[in-house]
Amino acid sequence: MEIVVCMKRVPETGDAEIAVDSTGRDIVRDRLTYDINESDNYALEEAVLLKEKFGGTVTLVSMGPPETDETLRMGLAKGGDVAVRLWDHRFARSDGHATAFVLAKAIREMEFDLVLTGCIATDDGRTQVGVTIAALLGIPHATYVMKVDIEDGIATVQSELEGGLIAVNRMKTPALFTIQTGINEPRYPSLISIKKATAKEIRTLTLDDLGLEASSAGEEGSKTKIVKLTPPPVGKRAEILEGAPEVVSARLTEIFKEKGMI
Amino acid sequence: MRDIFVLAEHRRGELRDITIEMLTKGRELAECCGVPLTAVLLGHGVDRFAEKLASYADTVVLIDHPQLENFNSETYQAALSPLLEDRQPFLTLIGHTAFGIDVAPRLSAQSNIPLATDCIDIRCEDDRVFAVRQIYGGKLNAEVSYENAPQYLATIRPASFPVREYGLKGEIVRTDCPALKTPEREFLEYVEAPAGEVDITQADVIVAVGRGIKEKETLPLVEELAKSLGGVLACSRPIVDAGWLPKDRQVGSSGKTVKPKLYVAIGISGAFQHITGMKGSDTIVAINKDPNAPVFNEADYGIVGDLFKVLPTLKEKIAELKSG
Amino acid sequence: MGGVITPNLEIRDAIVEKGGLEAYKCYQCGKCMSLCPWFHIETVEFPVYRIPQSVRLGIATSSEDKEEIAREIEEMFRCIGCEACTSRCPLGVSVPNIVRAIRRLLVEYGAFPSELKAIVSKIYNVGNPLGEPRERRTDWTEGYDVPIFRPEMEFLYFSCCVPAYDSRGREIAHATVTIFKNAGLSFGILPDESCCCESIRRVGAEKVFQEVAKANVDAFIRSGVRKIVTTSPHCYSTFRREYVEFGVDFEVLHQTQLFSLLLDDNRLRPRKPLPKRVVYHDPCTLGRQNGVYDEPRHILRSIPELELIEIPNFSREHSLCCGAGGGGLWLDWPMEERISNVRINQVLETEAEVLAVACPYCLQMFEDTAKSMNLSLEVKDVAELLAASL
Repeated sequence: MEIVVCMKRVPETGDAEIAVDSTGRDIVRDRLTYDINESDNYALEEAVLLKEKFGGTVTLVSMGPPETDETLRMGLAKGGDVAVRLWDHRFARSDGHATAFVLAKAIREMEFDLVLTGCIATDDGRTQVGVTIAALLGIPHATYVMKVDIEDGIATVQSELEGGLIAVNRMKTPALFTIQTGINEPRYPSLISIKKATAKEIRTLTLDDLGLEASSAGEEGSKTKIVKLTPPPVGKRAEILEGAPEVVSARLTEIFKEKGMI
Repeated sequence: MRDIFVLAEHRRGELRDITIEMLTKGRELAECCGVPLTAVLLGHGVDRFAEKLASYADTVVLIDHPQLENFNSETYQAALSPLLEDRQPFLTLIGHTAFGIDVAPRLSAQSNIPLATDCIDIRCEDDRVFAVRQIYGGKLNAEVSYENAPQYLATIRPASFPVREYGLKGEIVRTDCPALKTPEREFLEYVEAPAGEVDITQADVIVAVGRGIKEKETLPLVEELAKSLGGVLACSRPIVDAGWLPKDRQVGSSGKTVKPKLYVAIGISGAFQHITGMKGSDTIVAINKDPNAPVFNEADYGIVGDLFKVLPTLKEKIAELKSG
Repeated sequence: MGGVITPNLEIRDAIVEKGGLEAYKCYQCGKCMSLCPWFHIETVEFPVYRIPQSVRLGIATSSEDKEEIAREIEEMFRCIGCEACTSRCPLGVSVPNIVRAIRRLLVEYGAFPSELKAIVSKIYNVGNPLGEPRERRTDWTEGYDVPIFRPEMEFLYFSCCVPAYDSRGREIAHATVTIFKNAGLSFGILPDESCCCESIRRVGAEKVFQEVAKANVDAFIRSGVRKIVTTSPHCYSTFRREYVEFGVDFEVLHQTQLFSLLLDDNRLRPRKPLPKRVVYHDPCTLGRQNGVYDEPRHILRSIPELELIEIPNFSREHSLCCGAGGGGLWLDWPMEERISNVRINQVLETEAEVLAVACPYCLQMFEDTAKSMNLSLEVKDVAELLAASL
């Protein structure tokens, strides 16, 4: 089974302090550590599990500048076989559509039974690229996939809806699934697979290699644009209880009592 | 300028809240721009929703077809594209939900309409549309503009807009469904998540934990707190992903929506997927060591502190109060 | 696991290249095993002496089985860097250094526990593992009138991140500056410092260590720092032994060394009695790794009516680690696998009322353990006891 996995290198911002940069349209990226986008990691693991079951190869694709190689190598160490990085300075500041357009162009040239992507990127949270790629490639898709079963070229998948409800859908491959976290347990790479990964070549494809016009990629090819970034409005803030643990606990206990909870 | 369209979302015989939220906002935008508001209802045997939609919209386009009975992104898109092509609405709103985000990017790509997703606000200025989205888990807002195009598409985050009634009586127009091919993706069935022993949606008091509790071993301490308040233990998604609690304890967009009298969020940062599941609680208390955690925007009371230090003392104080 | 092991020389060479050369010296005598703190935990098998061997064979963290590699990597992050093994090895082989070399490879590929990823990220982003804002690093000085360092001052006081940001840790820093002022010491603090990064270096995050440590060195040089006094033995050890790699040569003292000198010079006169049984725990990094044993004891003995107790068999260089080193402070092992519990039990056997420590990590570990075991044992830093006696 030939599987393509789309990966994104994202900054770790959950615990970090982020500041808007001087352009007002991006964040200061100086002191941020980067990692594989969380749901992409699950997508990769799912691909590797399918490969282990059916044989074949897992091809990693990522659109990003040279630093992205680091993320692709992590993916190669975790079971990816081949890695392709798409980059051109003209790809910068792509929105969801432009990103999907470039990825789809590259994937179209590949042989695949499945394309797996994460369901959402933790940086921009667009949730858009996977489905757009499916539409551009003209293949069926499913989103927020929690379970993949494949038999004789037919995929039955479970998609997570709101409230814990699951929708079960079936389609022929080739198909694209956007993968939800928790579908599996992503593996650690071993030193052997890390060593093998360092030796693998990462192919880089530019705008010209892909046969694209500059107008269809990057900021030019984007349908939406970030005008500016602002901190969220403070709005209704909580009444913050101050003091040492004993003090705040006492106050909170009073509040619970006032509300009739004790 | 032409209409504003809102795609109604329904599932298993119920109209979903996001529809009314979008219609309320849509009405506001429509009145602001001086254009009609049209609700689009796709399905099979869903006439009974049309009246509700008509109380907001000037027109309800009702497309009834057996193949539209269950949501399917291909059939929905195949029904919508000709409609949008024909009617050329200026702006179309779809819910940023599991269904919505399944169809909107397809629609955007096939019909070549620019799309901004997960918008928490949207406004029209002359012929242009601007949206606001959250990035980096809610730490920053991004104001987004669209490239000039005849139509715009946006998916709207649930619970972003308050609802109100308009009491209008729009026209319900039954519209023919374009010929639909058999979709490549076949819907088989819905499956409920396995029921657990505890129904957190029925609890008056919920104490929920998030990644901040760091280890599974902290759960008993939190469970004790929940018990001492006569409540139940719940959690955010990462706790379920880690296998520490079963799925039926998850509060959030992909879990349960709860509206208890008291919701205590411990070590939960407040990502919107979680917030959306507990926003409606009467009183929300948050304990988190990060003063900038988005959860403090939702909470009524907050403690910025180390939960490993606060929980034991809180447990003590409650025990004291109960015995004293 | 049976069958023949095929050595993987490429892996061996990769580990050696990252700093694992010592692995070649080990002759598998196994002396290290009985000294490793994990030896005290029945349910955990941490094969210390196998590590150099696994490096030579190139099989460390190399399983291609998904479950097995998760276990092997988890095991590789159990080493708490106490160097008990090193101290008794006939050839002075440091297993923590070998482990660090392996970790460097794993960290480069993101193959390490997410709790530690978060710590590395926080230190890189805001200069401390607690994730607190940089601007608040000197907030602890409020009400204590602590001067900002100027070149004419004798000492830079480096508080360590835990005393800077943690409410309990701050009490140590407050005690320390109280003592310094009492002695009329010339000292100041630098607002724009970051974590010493000792622990993340042990964790294997070498790139971040180099960047953040270099920034510290630059800040120190810019500010005209020559002598540094630290609260934490980890900061002490790193500045003294590892920052020299940046070509600098600061004179570094741990605060117990400085207090001891001040006592000898009669600049400190502890008068208020503390009539309690106090047991002193030698922090691994202060004692075993840097040879500072007598000064903390000298300080405690100078406090009137204090009865100083030793932990029989496990004192001085035989001290049992609190479990916080090498990233251990942020990894949460299940209750039955806590080294700190073992140490506390050793302390309890002495029937001491107070456990005196000289390290903020030890303080945190032991206080948490004492609380979770519901003990009335008080845990105090030597500085706190001394300050209270002045």
